[in-house]
Amino acid sequence: MLGKQTGRYQALSLAMVMAFAIYLLPAFATDALAKEAYAGQAFAEEAFAKEVLAEEAVAGGEGEGESEIEWGQDVFYKDWEGNPLKGPVSGFPAPELGPSDYNNYEFAPSRMILWMAAQQHLYFGSFVLAVPIFCMLIEFIGIRSKESDPIMSVKYDRLAHDLMKISLTAYSWTAILGGILLFTFITLFPGFFKYIAGIFRPVMHIYALMFLAESGILYVYYYGWERMSQDPFLKWIHVSLSVLLNLVGTVLMFLANSWATFMQAPGGIDEQGRFLGNIWHVIHSTLWNPVGVHRILGNIVFGGGIVGAYAAYHYLTAKTEEERAHYDWVCYVAMFICIFGLIPLPFAGYWLMKEVYAFRQQMGITLMGGIMAWLFIIQAVMIGLLFFGANSYLHNGMSRVKGAHRYMKYSKYMILLLIVCFTMWMTPHTIVMTPAELKAMGGAQHPIIGHFGVMSAKNTAVNLMITTTILCFLLYQKANKKITVPWQTIGNCWLSAIFIGAAANIIFLGVYGYYLPANIRVGLSVPQVTTTLTTLFVGTAINTSMFKDAETYGEVQWGTMSKVGTYAIFLLAISFTWLMGLMGYIRSAVRLFWHVTEVMRDNSVDAYTLTIGEAGKMLTFNTLFVWVQFVVVFWVASLTGKKEETVPEPQAVPVPAQQQQ
Amino acid sequence: MLPEQHDILWTFMTMAYTLFAFYVFVNVIQHCRENEGVNGKLWGGIFGAFALISFFETVHMFDLVQADQMTFIFQYQILTVLAILLVWGVFFKSQDIQNQSSPIIRAFFFWSTVSIVLAGYTNWLPQQRSDPPPKAAAIAEDLTMEEFVEMGRVIVFGAKQVAGAKAIGKGQCPLCHTFDPGDLSGRCPNLFGVEERSHTRIKEDRYLNLPMKIGELEQVAGITKGKPDEIPEEYRRTGSPDLIGEDYLRESIMCPSCYVVEGFGKDADTKSPMPVITKPPVSLSPVEANAVIAWLQSKDTPGEFSNVTVPLPTASDAVAEDTSDDEERPVFVTGTEPIEQMINTLGCPLCHTIPGIEGAVGELGPKLFEKINAPQRIKDPNYKGSATNTKEYVRESILDPGAYVVFNEAEGEPFPDGLMPTTFSQMLSVQALDKLVDFISQTEAPPEG
Repeated sequence: MLGKQTGRYQALSLAMVMAFAIYLLPAFATDALAKEAYAGQAFAEEAFAKEVLAEEAVAGGEGEGESEIEWGQDVFYKDWEGNPLKGPVSGFPAPELGPSDYNNYEFAPSRMILWMAAQQHLYFGSFVLAVPIFCMLIEFIGIRSKESDPIMSVKYDRLAHDLMKISLTAYSWTAILGGILLFTFITLFPGFFKYIAGIFRPVMHIYALMFLAESGILYVYYYGWERMSQDPFLKWIHVSLSVLLNLVGTVLMFLANSWATFMQAPGGIDEQGRFLGNIWHVIHSTLWNPVGVHRILGNIVFGGGIVGAYAAYHYLTAKTEEERAHYDWVCYVAMFICIFGLIPLPFAGYWLMKEVYAFRQQMGITLMGGIMAWLFIIQAVMIGLLFFGANSYLHNGMSRVKGAHRYMKYSKYMILLLIVCFTMWMTPHTIVMTPAELKAMGGAQHPIIGHFGVMSAKNTAVNLMITTTILCFLLYQKANKKITVPWQTIGNCWLSAIFIGAAANIIFLGVYGYYLPANIRVGLSVPQVTTTLTTLFVGTAINTSMFKDAETYGEVQWGTMSKVGTYAIFLLAISFTWLMGLMGYIRSAVRLFWHVTEVMRDNSVDAYTLTIGEAGKMLTFNTLFVWVQFVVVFWVASLTGKKEETVPEPQAVPVPAQQQQ
Repeated sequence: MLPEQHDILWTFMTMAYTLFAFYVFVNVIQHCRENEGVNGKLWGGIFGAFALISFFETVHMFDLVQADQMTFIFQYQILTVLAILLVWGVFFKSQDIQNQSSPIIRAFFFWSTVSIVLAGYTNWLPQQRSDPPPKAAAIAEDLTMEEFVEMGRVIVFGAKQVAGAKAIGKGQCPLCHTFDPGDLSGRCPNLFGVEERSHTRIKEDRYLNLPMKIGELEQVAGITKGKPDEIPEEYRRTGSPDLIGEDYLRESIMCPSCYVVEGFGKDADTKSPMPVITKPPVSLSPVEANAVIAWLQSKDTPGEFSNVTVPLPTASDAVAEDTSDDEERPVFVTGTEPIEQMINTLGCPLCHTIPGIEGAVGELGPKLFEKINAPQRIKDPNYKGSATNTKEYVRESILDPGAYVVFNEAEGEPFPDGLMPTTFSQMLSVQALDKLVDFISQTEAPPEG
């Protein structure tokens, strides 16, 4: 998919899939087995509790004056009979916070300062966790291709090393931002932090130790790069270190996640907020798994976006053809990683929302139908922007592929379709109007445009947008190929039939939805999504099969990407950054006026939920501010790079799918 | 951000623009030094001046609060930036202009433009903020009139005011009233200039005679029109029994149907849709009612309180307030309360007529006869919600009021969308929601006669 050395690029894809699977497996497996295992565990604990109580009763009956153990009921965990799980009270109740528990500066509300500190730390944390994943895969591909293509092997190794160099600077920066976040908590929200620190005391120490381990592995991994590249065995040790680095990084992230998920959906404490003696219950609250998986995928997408923007910037400033070709290729790889991570992201999101509803239906309703609902409309707009960015990049990318002129004429129609769908996608169901406006329009919904505000139209629009993007990608794949397989006519007919049939089916189901009751209409989204996924998998399979023995119109001219295409990558990077901030805000803000949902009330003056506009400005600030920092970090990283310019540039760049033979 | 604080985004942008201005200045100076034919003093002077202007604009931005910052940055600083870009272009005229700026500058402008457009989009959408209800305002012995007026504003709009946001406080006034000139909701009168009108209105023939004459008793509120010395003692002012502007304002909130502004009433302007603000569910205390009146009297002349005639509360008022179990808590019902209490706490009777609930005769929203109405509405072709039965419809209407807007047959137009708060999901426990849905699903019109 990425070049002439098809095998290796397929191996890259395969390796990514495997890596994701390995990462996700524990979480999914944990979730799948949770109920079963949990029932047993809960039963055992309950039995133990009863046993202890019985012993106590006996002891009490004998008149022994031993101190009694107080038992509390868990706010979340239940035993196998559905009764709240009991545990020995092992901590203090959550305090009722007063004015002395909050400090503030005059120039900004404490809540905003904390938001900024947390968001900046999370952005950088996300980046430094994502980059080692890329490096691990790219270095692995480099080792595997050493025999067959030594030049490409060096190229991959160099890319992995470059990314790690950037990550190293960003790593220190992340630690500094983490320190700022910690001090912000301690100084501005001391009452809250005291409580959380009391609950998570051991987790915080383990976190600190894991951080130490992460740092040690990272330094050995990076600074030992050259030395360990000399010997094949040491090189394998080196790449193994990257696996270890990622494992430790993932544990770090999951530990930190537990603080946030506890605040949103607590477990392991009683109604007064008293710790019930089982730290695993506190860590492994109901949202822990889905948030963890969602963040891993989000990190990959975000990391890909940053690397893409980094490469795009260097592409614009490149002085030599080799440099331009190199960074053009890196842009392509980063884009691929981005989209690859983006596809499963919504499924992790659905899982998270399912768990939110399971925890408190009210919280789910607040998100999807309450005060947060408009934020999901904004999310839809952001997703629309991502589609525009991805399509724009592919359309512009075609211009550097010989033979692409055959398909470029279709671009304008695809863009037109995207615009129409995007308009439908972002049409709101109802808006605030005066009675006069209502009267003039004849109802809450416009007689024509109003039809676009309902889910039938929106599902149709987004599925058509995805299908268009898939079509665009398939055309990009085959842009410079002269198909020679004898069944090419049949293959093209099948491809046409699949896409035309898919479009017709999606539109038909969308229109049909208007004639069905709401509860049945909801079910139509399943066949619509299935249709879209069919175009992705079947379409790609047929397309790729047709490349067998294909002739080429010429190589991809890396380094000739238009500026518009480069700016499309910038657009993707901004959109990812903004979208990540938005979704993080939604997840956090759904607690409303609670520090810890239903246990510890936020009694500060900032306990309100922001208006959308105010949140939007803060998101924009965070986006711009983090990118200013990224620029500084990249610049700092480039200072060391300039000394190493003596390393000769590899002359070859990968050749994309268009050259597959 | 509070109105008196800086806006974090605009503060960041103004600093970035000044950095940009200095960058351009340095860039031009470098170019002049590399090219002898270029008049370095002239161009250096021009761009130095731009940099200084931008710097002083940034300094000035730090003296402004957030609403003013936005106005200033769009009216002045962005113009300065555009001017710099234009003159910079003139400076490099015919010299490969597009490659004279570093990609980092172009990327920054692209980045900031896209991001600010996104922020603009979020500000274009309906603004709503969710406030935990304010803590009861402490009434100190040495309360100033400014603080008392602020207390009134908080009762109207909520604890804090956010730029651009129309928050709703305990009084719930902004649900129907507007306060700025030219701002009309169409539902209830605009209260801009109400202090001035309060003096003239009491002399108008229409006030003296419609919908009832001075001295007649309004049954719902239990208030005698135009008789300030006959209203309940705790709300009564001291001094002359003559009718003054303050009395008109007090009467308007304690007896909305004593006088109905033309075009804003029911039944030929004889009944006001407004609830009695001193009774449940709003239940303003005497001090709170006076605070609102003080705010109404002074809101059009910020910082000037000479029009305020209500007295400041005394320490004895404060004691009386404290003893009335009126501490404000977040509006939240758990489901353990009696249904009538739940409904009154949530404020439903403000707008709805609900059979079985005493005093629930609101007319701003549809009458809740859902046992009959809900099944019909689900079958309505205009219904776009997802409910399939009465309970689902009622639940949906509570949590997502905009899902279906009922047509007001008496007025020949739909009931206004967007009036009903969308925050009930935060005020109800799951049990409370179920209880409320069960009750409302069974409501039906009382038998005629």
